[in-house]
Amino acid sequence: MNGGTAGRKWLLDVLMLPFGLLTFFPFYLILINTVKTPTETAINPMSLPKNWDFSNYIKVFEETPLLRSFGNSLFITVISVLLMVLIGAMAAYPVVYNPNRLNKVIVVYLLAGFLIPFQTTLIPLFELMTDFGLINKLWGLIILYMGGAVFVFFLVSGYMRTLPKELSEAAIIDGCSVWGVFWRIILPLLQPITMTSIIYQTMWIWNDFLAPMLFLNSQDKATLVLQVYKAKGEFSVNWPLFMTLTVIVLVPIFIFFLFMQKHIVKGIVGGAIKG
Amino acid sequence: MSKFLRNVQFQIFLLPILFFYTVFTIYPLLKSLLLSFTDFDGYVKEYNFVGLANYMKIFQDDAIVSGISYTLIFAIASTVLITVVAIPLALILDQNFATRNLHRAIFFFPSIPSGLLLAYIWGFILAPISSGVLNKVLKTLFGLGPQPWLSDPVLAKVSTIVVSAWAGAGWHAVLYLAFLQAIPKDYYEAAAIDGASRWQQIRSITLPLLAPAMTVSVMLLLTGGLKVFEIPLALTKGGPGFETHTITQVIVLRGITEVQYGLASAMSIVFFLIVLVLAFVQVSWMQKREEGIQ
Repeated sequence: MNGGTAGRKWLLDVLMLPFGLLTFFPFYLILINTVKTPTETAINPMSLPKNWDFSNYIKVFEETPLLRSFGNSLFITVISVLLMVLIGAMAAYPVVYNPNRLNKVIVVYLLAGFLIPFQTTLIPLFELMTDFGLINKLWGLIILYMGGAVFVFFLVSGYMRTLPKELSEAAIIDGCSVWGVFWRIILPLLQPITMTSIIYQTMWIWNDFLAPMLFLNSQDKATLVLQVYKAKGEFSVNWPLFMTLTVIVLVPIFIFFLFMQKHIVKGIVGGAIKG
Repeated sequence: MSKFLRNVQFQIFLLPILFFYTVFTIYPLLKSLLLSFTDFDGYVKEYNFVGLANYMKIFQDDAIVSGISYTLIFAIASTVLITVVAIPLALILDQNFATRNLHRAIFFFPSIPSGLLLAYIWGFILAPISSGVLNKVLKTLFGLGPQPWLSDPVLAKVSTIVVSAWAGAGWHAVLYLAFLQAIPKDYYEAAAIDGASRWQQIRSITLPLLAPAMTVSVMLLLTGGLKVFEIPLALTKGGPGFETHTITQVIVLRGITEVQYGLASAMSIVFFLIVLVLAFVQVSWMQKREEGIQ
């Protein structure tokens, strides 16, 4: 449906402009209010500031352990996502390359996990984490997230079925071990779906709020999202300061978006069509 | 190498996922089911079986009843609203115009940051006092007094749903867009030769071919909507009263905060059943619909 005259094309640009502006408006609003005083924000929330005062940006770093939280988020996300992708891809390997009756049962067992909401497992998980002494530990949260490897497993096993089998069979005949085939042949071939999995799981874990809220309680262990939640209580009267914090927290997400937009879109498509 | 040994080597690759999945998903699920029939309070590691008492209590607990009803309203209303916005948006973003890529990026971006952050930003816009941005706009344009966007029972529900739609519509538009781009161009060319108008083409080619996309998108929206937590929490803290309390919030409140493990477990099992039934009904109904259309 890419027809239409030149006049029509112009019409869409004009027609969509107000909707685009409206969608973007909240981001404009927080940006301009980071450089105002609380009074000015209360009186003129929408207009550009009279004096551009960037001191809030310094204040936020002084009053909240932002770098620490950024480091926590980065640590949790990177380690969880890498482990999850590895565990998920490993599990797909025998299911696709060594199919047997047991593996069919295992696939059904894993499939059941898709419909189990995290909320349903929450109370026993809280007990479990307490018993294992994993509350308020970054590693505890990472271990907890490993259940999410099931999603990667389904993405990867769907993709793995489309790979040609000749390469791995030839390698096995040449004496390559089961383990060697996986590392040297299968894993490199999985790169596109690995990218999709990484993006999905990164967005989930970086943005997660419920699990950090329940399982991390000291400020020095907080993730960025949790830090914003805690700060909302402290800065509740000072909107400009809170907006500044929000803008700073949005920066890494925005950079991720700029670099990954194409892959994210491909990921949605791949995930949706297979799912 | 013997066949047996090779099999064993292969099966080892499944051990990590089986371990984590069993310990962190299946075991807690079964434990929830067990606890839901007990009076376990979390402090003493002893408990008695109380039959269905916890399940009966659910329906006498105002917070829980509100939680279930608001969560259902939220899930269904946000699904409908996002679908109604995302399909036309995808149709437009599929057209060829100068600022197309810019608009795609703008509409898509709100689905990337955490819902908590987005809801806080909207909290500034919807602040019920006269300093709220939306109230300021309404006063300037229409001379209207301040509206209680987040503190009136009905307006609070509407506000949380609209903010969620703003955050999620772009993502689902991209999903539809992917399916739109998979439709072969010659379908439209053939229809155009037969004299079909643009609107007829949309109705008899595009929309029927979007049916599978709709099944997927609606399933994601419904199951995601039932798990809603951050956006109402950040906007209204669940209020006024329990009007925008979500099921998740109630489980955390009754379970973790008040340590009523039995009651919260019963609640979480009921929640699981709601998700299960709604997903099953929706998917089987919409798949039948797909067959009917095609």
